[in-house]
Amino acid sequence: MGVKRQTDKGSEALLRLEDISLSFGGVTALKDLSLEIGGQGIFAVIGPNGAGKTSIFNVINGFYRSWKGRILFDGVDITQLKSAKIARLGVARTFQNIELYTGLTTVENLMAARHMLFKDTILEGAFYFGRTLKQEVIHRKVVEEIIDFLEMEDIRKVEVGLIPYGLRKRVELGRALAMEPKLLLLDEPMAGMNMEEKEDMARFVVDISEEKKIPVLLVEHEMDVVMDIADRVIALDFGRKIAEGPPEKIKTNEEVIKAYLGDEL
Amino acid sequence: MFSDTLPKLLLEKYQEYGDKKVAMRRKDYGIWIEYTWKDYYEYTKYFSLGLIKMGLAVGDKVAILGENDPEWYWSALAAQCAKATCVGVFADSTPPEVEYIVRNSDTVFVVAEDQEQVDKILEIKDAVSRLKGVIYWDPKGMYSYQKDPFVIDFYHVVALGREYEKECRGFFEKNIEEGSPDDIGVICYTSGTTGSKPKGAMGSQKYLVAAGESWCAVDDWSSKDDYLSYLSPAWATEWELGLSSGLRSGATVCFPEKPETVQTDIREIGPKVVFYSARMWESLNSTIHARIANTIAPFRSIFHICLRIAFKVIDAQFQKKPVGILWRGLYKMSDLVLFRYLRDRIGLSNIKWAYTAGAGISPDILRFFHAIGVNLKQIYGLTEALMNSVHRDGDIKPESCGIALPGNEFKISGTGELLVKPPACFSGYYKDPENTKKQFDDEGWIKTGDAAYITSDKHVVILGRMKELVDLEDGNRFSPEFLETRLRFSPYIKDIMAFGEKGRGFVIGIVVIDYDNVGKWAEDNGINYTTFVDLSQKAQVSDLVLKEVARVNSVLPDWSRIKRYVVLHKEFDADEAELTRTRKLRRAFMVQKYHDLIDAMYTDAEEVAVEVPVTYRDGRKGLSKSVIKIREVSGV
Repeated sequence: MGVKRQTDKGSEALLRLEDISLSFGGVTALKDLSLEIGGQGIFAVIGPNGAGKTSIFNVINGFYRSWKGRILFDGVDITQLKSAKIARLGVARTFQNIELYTGLTTVENLMAARHMLFKDTILEGAFYFGRTLKQEVIHRKVVEEIIDFLEMEDIRKVEVGLIPYGLRKRVELGRALAMEPKLLLLDEPMAGMNMEEKEDMARFVVDISEEKKIPVLLVEHEMDVVMDIADRVIALDFGRKIAEGPPEKIKTNEEVIKAYLGDEL
Repeated sequence: MFSDTLPKLLLEKYQEYGDKKVAMRRKDYGIWIEYTWKDYYEYTKYFSLGLIKMGLAVGDKVAILGENDPEWYWSALAAQCAKATCVGVFADSTPPEVEYIVRNSDTVFVVAEDQEQVDKILEIKDAVSRLKGVIYWDPKGMYSYQKDPFVIDFYHVVALGREYEKECRGFFEKNIEEGSPDDIGVICYTSGTTGSKPKGAMGSQKYLVAAGESWCAVDDWSSKDDYLSYLSPAWATEWELGLSSGLRSGATVCFPEKPETVQTDIREIGPKVVFYSARMWESLNSTIHARIANTIAPFRSIFHICLRIAFKVIDAQFQKKPVGILWRGLYKMSDLVLFRYLRDRIGLSNIKWAYTAGAGISPDILRFFHAIGVNLKQIYGLTEALMNSVHRDGDIKPESCGIALPGNEFKISGTGELLVKPPACFSGYYKDPENTKKQFDDEGWIKTGDAAYITSDKHVVILGRMKELVDLEDGNRFSPEFLETRLRFSPYIKDIMAFGEKGRGFVIGIVVIDYDNVGKWAEDNGINYTTFVDLSQKAQVSDLVLKEVARVNSVLPDWSRIKRYVVLHKEFDADEAELTRTRKLRRAFMVQKYHDLIDAMYTDAEEVAVEVPVTYRDGRKGLSKSVIKIREVSGV
C-alpha cells in the first residue's frame, strides 16, 4: 500500500491522537487533544454544540489537517495521509448528513463501498468477464451478509432515494461495514430518528462491537443512548478534552455538567 | 397405498426422489437455496435422534416458535418421528402468551427461530419448570448466549443426532414404522376469539394425513407445483397445505426470506399454489387500487375499461350463463394488454390455485381477483374439523365458501348453526374434556359456531359467528361481519368494527383508515398531516370514508345500514388483544374497551374525548387521549 509501518512499541492502542490542534481562522476547533482508542469497545465523544466533536472525525479522516501533533492508526502515522489512503488502512465512517448515492439501490451502494477491494482491470470490468465476474460474486456475498446483519432484506433492491430517513442511516452504516474496517467512526448515528429506530440502531452498534469485534468511535447527542451503550466516554468543550472515563463517572463529572448547563451566576 | 402417518409419507418421498428432486427452497442472503428430499429427510432424522439423545421421550411435547423456515418443518416432523407431539406457537406471540401455551401443553423443548424468540423463552423459563432447553436455528445475535447450556444451536443437535445414529442404527426407521395413525402429531392452539384463553386442539396422524388426502383429491397438486409457505405453521391450515399436502404430492415448498419481502420473493418463485389470509388479499387489493389511482389518466382509463369487460365476463361465468364470443374476445385482449402484466407484478403469473380462509373475504375482492385472472377460492374449515368445503374450479359463487369436500357432510341446526361431520376430526382439546364435549352435539356432529345457510346447489354461505349475530328491534338479524368484510374492500379502510344491539335503534361503525393509502391520497390532494392521529381526524378523510360507507349502505337493507361512524385515532392491534393473532376482531373485548365511544355515538354529540389504555410491544402501558369526531350518514 506504499505506507511505511512505523514500529511504535509501547502503544497497544489502535488509534492514538497526540496533541492535535485545529483552528479555522481565529476559532479553535481542537486544542492539544490527545486520546487513545483501544482494540475493542464503544467509545463515545460528547460535548455541547461546537465543542469540536465532528472535527475530531474530520482530522482522523484526513479531511482537515492538524497543524501540530500526530495521529497513529494501527501503528501507522496517518497525520499527513489522504482520506482515500486512510480509508484503505481500515477507517470507515458515516456522516451526520447522509451521503449516499440516492439513485442507486441499497445493494449497489454497498457494492460501491467495496470497489476498493476489487482486484481486476478496467478492461475486465468494462466487459464483465474474468476476474470481475468472480470478484462480483465474492463481494456480493459479503454485502449480503451485511444486509442480513442489518436486517435490510426488504430494501435490498430499493433506490436509496425512496427509502425513509431512518433506514438510510442504516444503509450508510452498512456501507461503512462493507469496507471491512478496523475502526468505525459514526457521526451522530441516531440523529433525527424516532424511538424505535434509535433502539434498533443502538442494538446494531452494540452488535458490531461485540459480535464483529470492530471498535466503534461515535459522536452522539442522545445522552441516554451514549450512557447506555458506550464503554468509555470522552467529553469535549471548546476543543479541549474535559473528562474521560466510563459513563457512570462522566455523568457525575462536574466539569461536564458545567459545560452542558453553563456556570451558575 | 399411501402411508398413514406424516413421517411415513416423508420416508416414502425420500425413497422415491432421494436427492433427485428439490423439496424445499428458501431465500437466504438474497439467493434461493435448495434442499432435496434427501436433505429434508436427513435433517429431520438427525434432529429427531438429537432430541432423543437430549432426553426427549415418547409422548413429550416440542413447541416451535418462529416464522416459516425449513427448520420449522424439520423440527415438527422430527418431533413426530420421535413419537412426540409438535406444538406450534405464533411468531408474534408475547411472552405471557408463549408462557401460557408452553405451560398448558407441558412442553419440554422449545425450538425457537432467533434471538428475539429465545429471549421470550428465557424470560419465562423459570415459570415453566418442565422445560429442558431452547434450541435456536438462526444464530444471528446469539453470540452472548453461547455459554448458557440451556440454549442450544439447532445444528449442534443435528450433529449430536448424527453421532447418536452410529450407536443405534435402524432406531429412527423403527420409530417411523411403529408410528400409528392414532398418535397425536400436533396441538394447534385456537386463536381464542370465543373464549379468553386459547384451547389446544389435538390432531392425530390420521387427521393430518386425511387433510392432505382430501385436499389433493379436489385440486390435483403435483410434484411439479411450487407452494409458497407463508401462513404461520402454528395454524392448522399450514399443516394441511405445506406439510400434509406437500408431503403427499411431492410439491416444492418455498420459504420467503422475511415476511416483509414476500411480495418480491413471490415474483421470483412464481408459485402455482398460494394461500393468503383474507386480510392479505384485502391489502393486495388495496395496494393495486391505490397504485392505479396514482398513475396517469390514460392508464387509469385503460384499467377501468379492462376491468369493466372482465366483470361482465366473470359475472356471467359465476352465474353459469353463456358468454358471447365478442366479450370473450375483448376479455382475452384485456388480458393481453393489462391483466397478465398485473398478475406478474403481484407474483401470480403462474398461479393455478389461490386460496383464502379465516376471516370471511369480501365477495367484491373475490370477484376482482377472478376478473384479473387469479383463480381465488374460498375455503371453509375449522381447526377442530379440518377443511370442509372449498370452491371447485368453474363453480365459484363469490359469497359462498364452496361445496363440501369429499366425505364431509353439512347440516344446519334448529338455531341456524352450521354443523359438520368430517371424515377425520380433532382428538379433543388437550387436558380439557369439558370443552371437547361442548364441541359436539348429541349425534356427534361438530358445532362450528357459525351461522350459515346452504343453497340449492349445495354451496355453503357463512353469515357470521353465531354469537355475533345481533337481534335488532323488529326481529331482524344483523351480521356485523357481513358489513365489515364489504367495507374493508375499500383501499382506504383497513379495519372496521360495526356495532348494533337491541334497544339502540341503529348500527354504528368504528373505522380504522389504511395509513399508507390514505396518507398517499392526502399528499396527492394537498392535505397536510403529521401523524396517524392527525390524519385520521381530518374532515376530508372523514368525507372519504363517508363515500365508502354510503356505497356499502346502498346495497344493504335499511335496518343494517351504518348511521353514525367515527374514524379511530389508532389502529386495531393484536398486541392490545383487540385482534387475534390471525387478525380477527375480538368483539366482546372491543365493545367493552370502547364503550364510552360507543355510548357517545348514540347521543347527539359531535365529538367525543377518548382515553384508551395502550400496551407497547415491550409490555409498558400508557394512556392515549384524543378527541374524535362523530359523523352522521345522511339519508339513513
